[in-house]
Amino acid sequence: MMMPDEPSESHAPSALGYLMVWAALVVLATVTLFASRAVTGDWGLVVALTIAAAKAALVVACFMHLAGGRPIHRLVFAVAVGFLVLLVLGILADVGTRSFASSYVDDLGRAL
Amino acid sequence: MIAPAAAAADPVVQIQYDSLARQHATARLGMWVFLGSESLLFAGLLALYAAYRFLFSAEFHAASAHANLVIGTVNTYLLLTSSLTMALAIHATRQGRRRRTVLFLLATIALGLGFDVLKTVEYAGHLSEGLAPGGYYAYEGLAAHGVVLYVTLYYLLTGLHALHVTGGLCVLAWLAVRARRGDFTPGAHIALELGGLYWHLVDLVWIFLWPLLYLIR
Repeated sequence: MMMPDEPSESHAPSALGYLMVWAALVVLATVTLFASRAVTGDWGLVVALTIAAAKAALVVACFMHLAGGRPIHRLVFAVAVGFLVLLVLGILADVGTRSFASSYVDDLGRAL
Repeated sequence: MIAPAAAAADPVVQIQYDSLARQHATARLGMWVFLGSESLLFAGLLALYAAYRFLFSAEFHAASAHANLVIGTVNTYLLLTSSLTMALAIHATRQGRRRRTVLFLLATIALGLGFDVLKTVEYAGHLSEGLAPGGYYAYEGLAAHGVVLYVTLYYLLTGLHALHVTGGLCVLAWLAVRARRGDFTPGAHIALELGGLYWHLVDLVWIFLWPLLYLIR
């Protein structure tokens, strides 16, 4: 069975490629800083996390060679990130619905 | 059967693998699984953060104003740059440039040390103000329950991350010694590659911690 073992030389970025990725990361970090002043409140969080996700994608794809590596690496990483997102969303669904869920639970208690 | 380790630079193929390439592929996959579990270690704390920020939105906002934005931001640029020097160290090894590999590794270590030093200065400043975690919280300007939760999560998240930076620095130091000794060749440098992956994960975590803890507006 053949399998591509090493992200081959052609897949790995050149030194100039790495420098450009770093420059993009620095620009995005600076944008985050200014955006946090310009966009406040809930939208501020959305903007900050969107830029952070873009930076993370650059680091994972280029510096960590996930883009040119084996598909199984992408699967493993995607599963971990997926579970992280599920955990956070599940917890937010809990605390976000307590205001009306608790009254429902109270009614249940009274009926019994 | 298996060639004895004739020289330190000769990579040894373990008995269960039919080739060095297969052995490295397994190591690489194992590292990604490890990085996945590391992400889930932080996920627990991030989930707590999400819940408390939702419930105590105003308090998180007020408490975040006391975070040291200058140090947090400088540390962001330090770690981003250290990821670059790490990638360049591996790039140099692939080109067979041993001296350059060592120099880039030393630069990565210096940037990581800079991060830890600034983090220590930051912690010392907060602690002297009474911005301490949990029951030790004694800052009189802000006394709400949600503020204490923010401060405690700040220490847990940045503390766990700083431990990872420090652990990564030990790995980098070991890699620098091995690189200088000539252990890594363009075709065989799996330890360097895996150490690099770990260091990039440390950068990755900070990319999210910085806006979540320092930039609440």
